[in-house]
Amino acid sequence: MARVVAGVRATLGCQVLVVDDASGDATGAVARHAGALTLRLPLALGAWGATQTGIRYAQRNGFAGVITLDADGQHVPESLPALFDAQGATGANVVIGTCTRRLSRAKRVAWWYLRTLTGLGLGDFTSGLRLYDRAAVNILAGPAASLLDYQDVGVLMLLAKNEMVIRETPVEMLPRREGHSRVFASWPVVALYMMHTTVLCLAQIHPGRRRAPSLIGDAPC
Amino acid sequence: MLTGQITSAVLGVGLAGAILFLVRRDHLHGPYAVWWFAVAAATFVLGVFPGVVVWLGRETGIGYAPVLPIIIGLSLVLIRLLKLDIDRSKHERKMRRLTQKLAILEQELERLGGRRSTDDVSDEPMG
Repeated sequence: MARVVAGVRATLGCQVLVVDDASGDATGAVARHAGALTLRLPLALGAWGATQTGIRYAQRNGFAGVITLDADGQHVPESLPALFDAQGATGANVVIGTCTRRLSRAKRVAWWYLRTLTGLGLGDFTSGLRLYDRAAVNILAGPAASLLDYQDVGVLMLLAKNEMVIRETPVEMLPRREGHSRVFASWPVVALYMMHTTVLCLAQIHPGRRRAPSLIGDAPC
Repeated sequence: MLTGQITSAVLGVGLAGAILFLVRRDHLHGPYAVWWFAVAAATFVLGVFPGVVVWLGRETGIGYAPVLPIIIGLSLVLIRLLKLDIDRSKHERKMRRLTQKLAILEQELERLGGRRSTDDVSDEPMG
């Protein structure tokens, strides 16, 4: 994680915030040592609860935008400028960094299903590598996003509902160095996740809102 | 040997008494107390005057009247459960937002006070 923090600082020179989701290890100390600001949650809120904490911090302190990336090493800090390039080129409110080549067969099927269900034309729904502009930050910091559990379909549908423009851009990703996917952990977890997501989608579905944000370019990643 | 009338009266009065006791002991607050007070009143009336059920069945056109309190009771339980989950969701949202705010404020406090965070403080004197 120290490498990720140092990499982001070297690439963008921006403020790096690490949210410690009530972990028992030295996450906070390691992150601070690497030069990051840390927020320590007194209770574990899960992946999205922790991410939203950072987003609320950014809103409270007047940041112009937020980039989220996983601290497990699968997101390459050097790929972050590509998100800004994509935002500059398309004027999108949200840019998602995806690596479609790295998707497993199960994920491809899952994403095809979710594309059909939500009408959001995205290649990867759970990629944690994202850029949010101020408008998106304001939406995601609100109470409407507080009962979500993952930074995925629920977040994207909330953004789409609020007329945010969402775009994807291909980026390089590495295998995780530590940890594992919280969603694709085991088959029962996946089944439960798909069931939750389906209900979430059915509750949120809106017939007039089936715009299809497209993948920018098609370069191999 | 108890008659059906006495059994239902004992059950109704017992349940109503237990609920009233809890309401008066302040174990149930505000809207909950009102709801349970109504339930206590209903069990009391239906227990002591089972004829009400027969009369209600005739009025609503239900041939087998005794099933009526069961249907109404189950429906009310379902509504109550639904309300419970709605309240739980509200609490969960509040709890999450409070937790997040706490973490943010704690960080600001450290920054303003110039103090090291709690996990660094242990090896040096407070102050």
